[in-house]
Amino acid sequence: MTLSPRIRRAFRIFFATAVGLLMAAPLFYMVAGSLMSNEQLSIQPPEVIPNSLHFENYSNAFSGVTQVIQLRSFVNSIIFTVGVVGLQWMLCLTGGLVVAKMRFRSRNLITAFYAISLFIPLITTLIPAFVVVYELKLVNTYAGLILPIAAQTGFGTLLFRQYISQMPEELFDAARIDGANWWRILRNIVLPLARPATAAYVAISVLTAWNMYLWPLVAAEGGSLQVLTQTLAQVGTTGQGQVTPQNVIFASVVIVTLPMILVFLVVQPAFVRGLAGSGVE
Amino acid sequence: MRQVPSANVAVSATRIRVRKSRRRDRRAAAVMIAPNLLLFTVFVLVPIVGGLALSFTTWNITNGWPKWVGLDNYRRMRDDPLVWEAVKTTVKFIVMGVIPTVVIALGLAMLINFRFRFVAAVRSLYLIPAAMSFAASAVVWRYLYLNGPGYGVINYVISRFGVTPPDWLASTQWSLLSLDIITIWLTLPIATILYLAALQRIPDSIIEAATLDGAGAFRRAVHIVWPGVSYMTPLVAIVALLSFTNGSFDLVNILTKGGPLYATQTLIYYIYVNGFGYGMFGYAAALSVLQIALIGGILLVLRLLSRLAVR
Repeated sequence: MTLSPRIRRAFRIFFATAVGLLMAAPLFYMVAGSLMSNEQLSIQPPEVIPNSLHFENYSNAFSGVTQVIQLRSFVNSIIFTVGVVGLQWMLCLTGGLVVAKMRFRSRNLITAFYAISLFIPLITTLIPAFVVVYELKLVNTYAGLILPIAAQTGFGTLLFRQYISQMPEELFDAARIDGANWWRILRNIVLPLARPATAAYVAISVLTAWNMYLWPLVAAEGGSLQVLTQTLAQVGTTGQGQVTPQNVIFASVVIVTLPMILVFLVVQPAFVRGLAGSGVE
Repeated sequence: MRQVPSANVAVSATRIRVRKSRRRDRRAAAVMIAPNLLLFTVFVLVPIVGGLALSFTTWNITNGWPKWVGLDNYRRMRDDPLVWEAVKTTVKFIVMGVIPTVVIALGLAMLINFRFRFVAAVRSLYLIPAAMSFAASAVVWRYLYLNGPGYGVINYVISRFGVTPPDWLASTQWSLLSLDIITIWLTLPIATILYLAALQRIPDSIIEAATLDGAGAFRRAVHIVWPGVSYMTPLVAIVALLSFTNGSFDLVNILTKGGPLYATQTLIYYIYVNGFGYGMFGYAAALSVLQIALIGGILLVLRLLSRLAVR
């Protein structure tokens, strides 16, 4: 049995698309369900195409007896994400430059610390990290929420280090001979040249911060600092027999996830490059 | 020989300049890296070292200072049957998750490693679950897993084959696997990206030549594709390991709370329960040391395996 290359190619494209649709199926089901009536959502056999579009599920997710999402949580998630990524980016860019291009004795030691920290994620040091925040009286504050996560600079510093160390040495020598100090080098050479690395870093960090659940859970026990992952966790835990209808819950998940899907589609090339680049060495 | 003195002068002049610029570098470097190192020390290094110290104490955080109890926490750990259950559950969770992730990701990457008109859109389908959080996935999958009276989608499909579907999250036998499946789904995009990057470095001409020489898909996979991408496998495994470590808390806390009957009580979750549930911070810190040792052990095994594979 020999098929012509054209047919084999068509078959391969079809197969790749079918598997892709299967991988993304839970997302499509979520979006479809968020637009269905609750009756249609509970029909057996399950249906996947909405009979009519119930956009009111989305407004119901924000208000009324079925409210899932508090505006406050939405704002908190934005503050948390922007705070963590903005602060961490500055720390990692400067740190990356220092360990990539400056010469001092403890450089390799410091670099090793960053590398080791990659294998001890916050989740394994949760208890002592919480104790530190508790002793600094930062529980239930934005600082307590943001600083310990922004401080996880291992990945970013090494990412920028790798990127910056590939920049030609002559560039830096020339700037120094012209009398530029390191801050000017940072602003005029590193910052513009490291833009691709920044894109990759921001892409990965925004996703991580927005989707983070554990740290906000322990650092903000009170309701006023709650972020969106906690909101979803509450409806996820209650599950069956709850008061909020399923279509409104699906709409809530879409509302929380959509910003990240949009971010992801926009930054996907940078995201892919950043991850792929990390394996090149 | 006559050149030696002048060369010496030149060398020492360079040395002085280098030394001078080094001294300048040192000061600039210290200032520039200070904020990074300060936060990194306070919130990363201090917890690592402090956690070890805390593990020799008993403390409920609110009352006074930790009390030194020596190795008591470790003795208690040895005698706590739930600890060994949790370690077993964690290892099972990781093994049942990481291995399929690595295998499936390579398959998916091979599947989408060719050019056609809408390749970018099709690849997006594979990668888009990466945008979802564990929390969001937990909500959706809870409904997908639903069992009787009205089946969720998964069990409806299974029941069509005339098989009694499992009660996924609520059954001691299936709950851990249920959480693994969700985590595999969430980890596959990143793992696939990594393998795809490696695949794209294999020149098409080599594969074409092999095809012309009559090598089938299987032989191409074994002799060309695998040697070309195997270097990526340790990284994929490590990324997956970290993802499953996170999943072993987020999903457990949202979907099963360690149940039913401790079937999904991973070590991370048991640490959380002891610390934030019972307020036993000393004991929880000792368990954290065990957790770090466990992850370290798994990494060591991975390293050995990858050494063997290279040979």
